[in-house]
Amino acid sequence: MQNEKANVADREISMVRLLDAPVKLVWKVWTDPDHIKNWWGPTGFTNTIAKMDVSKDGEWNFVMHGPDGTDYENRVVFRDIIKYKKIVYEHINFPRFTGTIEFEERGNKTMLNWRMIFENKDEFMKVVKEYGAVEGMEQNIVKLDHYLLQVAAAE
Amino acid sequence: MEMRRDVFQAIADPTRRQIIGLLAAEPLNVNTVAEKFDMTRQAVSLHVKILEECGLIMIKKQGRERYCEAKLDGLSEVSKWVEQYKKYWESHLDSLEDYLAKIQNTKTKKYAKRKS
Repeated sequence: MQNEKANVADREISMVRLLDAPVKLVWKVWTDPDHIKNWWGPTGFTNTIAKMDVSKDGEWNFVMHGPDGTDYENRVVFRDIIKYKKIVYEHINFPRFTGTIEFEERGNKTMLNWRMIFENKDEFMKVVKEYGAVEGMEQNIVKLDHYLLQVAAAE
Repeated sequence: MEMRRDVFQAIADPTRRQIIGLLAAEPLNVNTVAEKFDMTRQAVSLHVKILEECGLIMIKKQGRERYCEAKLDGLSEVSKWVEQYKKYWESHLDSLEDYLAKIQNTKTKKYAKRKS
C-alpha cells in the first residue's frame, strides 16, 4: 500500500477545496453539461460538449477551444458514479489519467477532493511541460466572471 | 535534426533517472556507474553524456578517472513546471468556486427582489 503510494507520487496531482455551496448544487454544476460548459477550462477557453452521459461507463466527449483557435479534444469515460459522493473518470486520450472527485457534505458547504493519477511518468512530464508553456492559464476567473455577469444580466 | 537537451529529456529515461539517483548520493566514476547497470558500458556512457549535456551532471577528470557529479539545481526547473501544471488544474477549481458564487448570488438576489 505504502509502496503504491510512493509509486504514484511523481505523477499525481491532487487538490482539496472547501466550496461555499451545498453538495447538491456542486454536483449539479459538475454533472450537467449546461453548467459545466460555463466554467470548465482556463482563461480564454470555451467548451463544446458533444456528449455527457454521467453514468457508469458513460462517455463525456468535449472540445476545449483555446483563445488562439486551437481545439483540444477530450474523451472521458466515467468509471464510477455515486450521486452526491463520488465521480471516477478516465481521460482516455492524451494525456491519459484517472481522476477521482470526492464530494463531502459540510453543512451548507462542500469539501471537494480531486485527484488525478497519470498513467506514466514520461507522459506526465510531457504534459507538464506542454501546459506549463502556456502562460497565464491561471487567470480563469476573469473569463468566468464575464460570462456570469452576462448570464445574470440576461436573467 | 538538432537534438533538444534539457532537464525534461534528462529525466525522461528510467536509466537516467537511476543514474541521477546514484550520483545524488555520491560522485562516482563512469566505470562504477556502468557496473551498476545490466547494459553495456557504452550504453551507460551515452546516458552519462546526455545527462551532462542536459546540465544535470558534471564530469571532472581526476588523473585517468572521469568522475560524475550531480548538479541537482537543474531539477528545480521540473518542479517549477509541475507547480504550474498544478495551478492549471487549481484554476478549474477557482472557476468552479466563482461560478457557484455567481449562481447562488443570482438566486439570492431574485429571492430578495420577490420578497420586497
